[in-house]
Amino acid sequence: MIHATELTRTFGPTRAVRGVSFEIGAGEIVGLLGPNGAGKTTTIRMLTGYLPPTSGRARIDGLDPIDDSHAVRSRIGYLAESNPIYPEMRVESYLRFRATLHGVPRARREGAVGEAIERCSLREMRRVRVGRLSKGYRQRVGLAAALVHDPKVLILDEPTSGLDPTQIVETRRFLRELAGRHTLLLSSHILSEVEKLCGRIIVFAHGQVRADGTPRAISAAPGDAGAYTVEAATTPERLDSALTRVRGAASVRTEAVDARWSRAHIVAEDGAGDLRESLGAALAGEGVALRELRREEASLERAFARLVEADPAEEGPTP
Amino acid sequence: MTALWAIAWREFASFFRLSIGWVVIALYLALSGAVFSLGTLRAGEPASMRWFFGLSTWLLMFIAPAISMRLLSEETRNGTIEPLMTAPVSDWALVVGKFLGGVCFLAAMLAPTLAYAVTLEALSEPDYGPIASGYAGLALVGVFYLGVGTMFSALTSNQIVAFLGTLFFLLLLRFATLQGAAFVGAPYDGWLHTLSVDLRMADFGKGVVDTAHVVYFLAGGAWFVTLGVVAVESRRWR
Repeated sequence: MIHATELTRTFGPTRAVRGVSFEIGAGEIVGLLGPNGAGKTTTIRMLTGYLPPTSGRARIDGLDPIDDSHAVRSRIGYLAESNPIYPEMRVESYLRFRATLHGVPRARREGAVGEAIERCSLREMRRVRVGRLSKGYRQRVGLAAALVHDPKVLILDEPTSGLDPTQIVETRRFLRELAGRHTLLLSSHILSEVEKLCGRIIVFAHGQVRADGTPRAISAAPGDAGAYTVEAATTPERLDSALTRVRGAASVRTEAVDARWSRAHIVAEDGAGDLRESLGAALAGEGVALRELRREEASLERAFARLVEADPAEEGPTP
Repeated sequence: MTALWAIAWREFASFFRLSIGWVVIALYLALSGAVFSLGTLRAGEPASMRWFFGLSTWLLMFIAPAISMRLLSEETRNGTIEPLMTAPVSDWALVVGKFLGGVCFLAAMLAPTLAYAVTLEALSEPDYGPIASGYAGLALVGVFYLGVGTMFSALTSNQIVAFLGTLFFLLLLRFATLQGAAFVGAPYDGWLHTLSVDLRMADFGKGVVDTAHVVYFLAGGAWFVTLGVVAVESRRWR
């Protein structure tokens, strides 16, 4: 449904997006994840046709957002980054306006507005001016406006920014309901959010795609060697000498917990496999009592941090 | 087409949702009302709206930029242009819709002044020819000025810059075609005079509806709106 091929966009000397390629199938929920300034919004703007790419091409439902601009725009429901809405308009008339812009015929317009209001639980706020709404409700109005014409593709730039935790949970539940009916591409700089919502994550950093896959696949990506924690009844020095001998342990860091117990953090070498057995055996050989031997869960957070690390070869991203 | 009218109507309505619409209308009616009652409603004055049209033409030079300054600048500043430009609406429909919203507001601002004509009717026997042509002229000048303003509004995201740009352009046009024409003298003054809004408007005030004047204002307005469209389109290839 969404294809990006070598999308590149420069603003003067800064290359905001450099050769981004991905493909999103119909009905998928995909999250663009990356720190602020990673090129997510610029990429999204190229997909919606708001910004022409410097090079490369985008395709929505097989159509080019610049050459077949109208056809693409009528297929997309778009929530822009800061959710710009005329503050002086009432919720209902704003949604009616957006429905008209998107070519919902007059006979179906009221029905479409009513449905969007229901789907986004905005019924009590129908007659309220957007400028008077809380941030959470405002965001819902933006969502309602993005889906009022029942688009094939929903593109949401930071749909949960500025919401409180309850609202985030609510929005997440709501977005999950949208799956199947729409292809959903959303962006966020908050990891936990995309992780919980999206079946697939595309990690952005410095204008490039750094990883693309399921949250599980990304967290287990090569380069994230296993990490282990051990607590044993011995001194830090003895623990260290026992564990550094284990094959596959790249680094060992020890500390005293109290007079009797010491703790060690072990990072495995790449491709070392599960080290728990050999770690346990090493301590058994020393004859020390063991009270904890734990493999750290591969965490998306660590994978993310590693993926977006500064890229020394290139200039910084655009603001 | 539906989208164009939706944009025009939204624009028109928003003037009244915000204080700016009411402020502009109130100031205009207060000034023109004062001139009408002090200048025209006097013993011995003819039952014409000559004063009113003269003053209004001059006031439009300030009012039109105040109406047009927000049309596209505000959208750009607030980012509300992004949903518009990603909706299946052509740049033409967007800019022309905005412009028509401004024109409708201008019409709404002029409508209450028909009370002056009614007042004249109650007191005397006014000649309706010049009054009708005067209104037509005022509307045409408004279309021309708002066209200029739409272009400036499309060029900047700053409303003040859009206002001042339009105002300076209109002042320059006025000075160049009146004082400037007098300064350069024959044979160039005739050429400059053809560009003069005031000279053309003066004919309307006298009851003369010259097709050339009508074409000048409409074509001029359309030309500047077109430049506005180009300015908006240019965002897509910049």
